Amino acid sequence: MSEAVQTKSAFHKYWVILSTRTQEDMAYRANYVFGAIFRFLPLVTMIFLWWAIYAGRKATGASPLIGGMTYEDMVVYNALMYVARGFSSVPGTMSDISKDVKDGLLNRYLIKPINYLWYQVMYRLAHKLVFWYIALLTFPPIFFLMRRYFTHWPTLWECGAFVISLFIAFSIGMLFCSMIGMLAFWFLEISGFLFVVMMLEFFMSGQLIPLNILPAYLHQVLFFSPFGYEGYWPCVILMGKVPQDQLAQVLLIGFGWVGIFYGLSRLMWSRGLKRYSAVGG
Amino acid sequence: MKPIWRYLKLTGLMMHNCFVRELQFKANFVVRFFTELMWLVMQFIYIGVMYGQTGEIAGWSKWDMIVLMGTNYVIAQLFEALFYDNCVRLTDQIRQGDLDFNLIKPINTQFLVSLRYTDYASIVNSMVGLGVILFALGKMGLAVSFGGALLFAALVINGVLIYYSILFVLSVWTFWIGRSNNLMELYWQFGQFSRYPGDIYPWILRKLLWTVIPMLVVSNVPAGLLIHKLKLGGIFYAFALGAVFLSFTVWIWKKGLQRYRSASS
Repeated sequence: MSEAVQTKSAFHKYWVILSTRTQEDMAYRANYVFGAIFRFLPLVTMIFLWWAIYAGRKATGASPLIGGMTYEDMVVYNALMYVARGFSSVPGTMSDISKDVKDGLLNRYLIKPINYLWYQVMYRLAHKLVFWYIALLTFPPIFFLMRRYFTHWPTLWECGAFVISLFIAFSIGMLFCSMIGMLAFWFLEISGFLFVVMMLEFFMSGQLIPLNILPAYLHQVLFFSPFGYEGYWPCVILMGKVPQDQLAQVLLIGFGWVGIFYGLSRLMWSRGLKRYSAVGG
Repeated sequence: MKPIWRYLKLTGLMMHNCFVRELQFKANFVVRFFTELMWLVMQFIYIGVMYGQTGEIAGWSKWDMIVLMGTNYVIAQLFEALFYDNCVRLTDQIRQGDLDFNLIKPINTQFLVSLRYTDYASIVNSMVGLGVILFALGKMGLAVSFGGALLFAALVINGVLIYYSILFVLSVWTFWIGRSNNLMELYWQFGQFSRYPGDIYPWILRKLLWTVIPMLVVSNVPAGLLIHKLKLGGIFYAFALGAVFLSFTVWIWKKGLQRYRSASS
């Protein structure tokens, strides 16, 4: 019986972290609303920039498709990227973890009967909950305004695969950021390096340019990278650009990366703790 | 000592102080320099991909676009060098009640909080941006007269000050809302409007970006000067707008200070 109580409490403590963090973030929800509206500004530019590019092609009589995508597809891709990033981006995770390690703040968590990495997951999940609480009010009207661009009605399969891909997106985003943050166990000052990583992530996840219109030598590599799952794959899956017989393969590779990242982060944690000096610096 | 000299001397001292600090963290300087350089390279790839699809975007050739990108890069880097960190710090100071230490100093507080810290890596980066502009102009076979270069420099400074005015007003907003850590995001999100030619936008949005949110005045005007896409009126308009925006910061700063509680929220 005592075992049963323990199992309950194991989940319970993380539930408490999650709900406390969520309540804390909810106190600042005005801040989220502010961000939720302004974050769509770049989409406005993208809509007109791509319009000008497609118009330029039309004028010269070139094919109206770029990388198999129509103008409407390109707009939808950029819009869906907001949904994908709403799952895969966990802002502050890298810097918070590295700071905890570097300044010896980890002690606070080590003496508690919790796993620090799961604590971080709950912390970020709370962020995401509040983010989506607000986003569910702001995204639908914006997507409704853009309805004429959504030319593809996704099948049930695509919807299912999309939901799974969003789970992969969050997992990869979370695990990757944790691992980069944990590098602080080995290197004292990594704040500059974090920017480089974030920028590469930005590029390799297809946020800047859809991966399929990059030069072939680049996109063939990036198709198999874990970063595509943070942006590119969820978008193109829902857009119906991935043939149904390849959906399973795409998702499997994604789960493979989640597994690898999970193993690596556990390894880094146990190795890192041995090096941890528990003092500020 | 005349006030103007006092301010200039103080600016010099603050910049020197930051230079000494910068020398203590040389590795950080190098990393920051390369990070920004990578961002520039990514922009190049982006332009390359776009112009791989079409020869002209809204009447702008590839090199026109690179001149604009370079100009915007110079302006953004100069803004980041002089004001960005200070604006971010200001929001923290207002929120945590740390502004007191600046208020008691016998100098204009807006001047002090706006220029306290200088980021030297960004200054070096702005030089790289200048190189990009010169390279693109060379490719296009366009020459710039001495007067043109001076006017360009003045318009660049004007652009930096417009950026400053907008970000400063957003920082000062903290007096009213108590928290604004979205500042960095806002800078990126509004800033991206100045990276592209105004000609891609429909009429109403273009007007908006020329007046209320003048992101097109920031870099489209100086870039337009170099590639002969600018009318004379545009230059006068840009300077007038810069003056109006800068005056507004002084007014809103005073209004905001009246709401300062000197306590953490």
